[in-house]
Amino acid sequence: MAKKLVAVVKLQLKAGKATPAPPVGPALGQYGINIMAFVKEYNEKTAGQAGSIVPVEVTIYSDRSFVARLLTPPASDLLRKAAGVPKGSGTAGRSLAGKVTRKQLRDLANQKLGDLNALNVENAEKILAGTARSMGIEIVD
Amino acid sequence: MTTTATWLELSIAVDQEAGEEVAALFARYGYQGGVVVEPSWLSTEEGDAGGTDHLYDLDSTRPVTVRTYLPADGQAAEIQQHLATALWHLGQMRPVGQLQTRTLVEEDWAHNWKQYYQVQRIGQRIVIVPSWLEYTPQPADLILKLDPGMAFGTGLHPTTRLCLRLLEQHVLPGQQILDLGTGSGILAIAAAKLNEVKVEAFDLDAIAVAVASENVVLNQVADQVQVVQGGLETNQKYDLVVANIIASVLINLAPALAQVLNPGGTLLSSGIILARETEVTLALAAAGLEYHERHQEGEWVALVHSKLG
Repeated sequence: MAKKLVAVVKLQLKAGKATPAPPVGPALGQYGINIMAFVKEYNEKTAGQAGSIVPVEVTIYSDRSFVARLLTPPASDLLRKAAGVPKGSGTAGRSLAGKVTRKQLRDLANQKLGDLNALNVENAEKILAGTARSMGIEIVD
Repeated sequence: MTTTATWLELSIAVDQEAGEEVAALFARYGYQGGVVVEPSWLSTEEGDAGGTDHLYDLDSTRPVTVRTYLPADGQAAEIQQHLATALWHLGQMRPVGQLQTRTLVEEDWAHNWKQYYQVQRIGQRIVIVPSWLEYTPQPADLILKLDPGMAFGTGLHPTTRLCLRLLEQHVLPGQQILDLGTGSGILAIAAAKLNEVKVEAFDLDAIAVAVASENVVLNQVADQVQVVQGGLETNQKYDLVVANIIASVLINLAPALAQVLNPGGTLLSSGIILARETEVTLALAAAGLEYHERHQEGEWVALVHSKLG
């Protein structure tokens, strides 16, 4: 029997390190999901990616079953790695954290295309460029 | 984790394009870098929970809500200030909403799922009854009363259901049984109710041990089930071992699992995600265990092995 969709929640968590504490607890608890079941599933699915942030899209159904689908790492994480910087600038617009090339940006856009709400790679690139700017990462040719 | 912990929830509504950027900011300041994004969605189309296709359409013109959490301690105000400053900078480049704050305690979310936790029939005879619900048993029913609290093992997860069905087939009178990683105690209690057996239920987690001990008493099997906090450091031998853990732990423990089995004894291993089944199978084979069968539900696999007699 088909189940009714209740909600779609995206979580950004450290691979293999989810716990019932926030953000998992409040984000999923409000929909009546058994939190430990999600924690176990997420940690097992991301066990091989320790050290990365691995976002997960949780689709919740009316019987409180859920499907957890792993997504690509967040744009900021990918940009940081591409620029080789430990973190973005806290005061973007005033200070610079690092640089990425147009080519790197295009590669990341291709990688993220399926997860971003973008129609094509140009559009994805634009979203990534916005993220880079807000982190104080400059795009160079 | 204490039940009195207080948290601050910080949330903001932003357009979808800015969502990634705000999430990145929140990740920098939030507890454990954790961030929640709730997209708006339009469609109310019904879909099958087993599928992975998108059966709904996200409305990209509506804002998304981005949230993060901070422990409500002495540093919260300072972190909030940093975040507000960073959002102000972001606000110079893109429109962002107002930062909202609310206080939460664990009680607010930890028990919500209970209202959806219903009586479940698993396998031939096992019936899981939430301890706060009334249920009139049928003649052949084997009732397990359960309050899983914050421990794993509600019978809702495929890994637990696979084990319960296997226990129905493999628990025989007189056996000495080990339940490794007992969680709520659900498997140990099921084994004790299925036959005249002795069960030792191990868990590393103190919360699980407390929850399992309460459930053992609730089900009146304290004379059969002993709950112990600890891992597999034991000289005891068992006729049946059930280990519903995860693939990596099963792989590491394979030699020790083989060690604690009596000759002819059976190992039921579960919690194995499909992608890692082969690794687990190889590790158990390398430990000298003989493969018998596999069972699958969704993406999860349970395996049956035995030790040569």
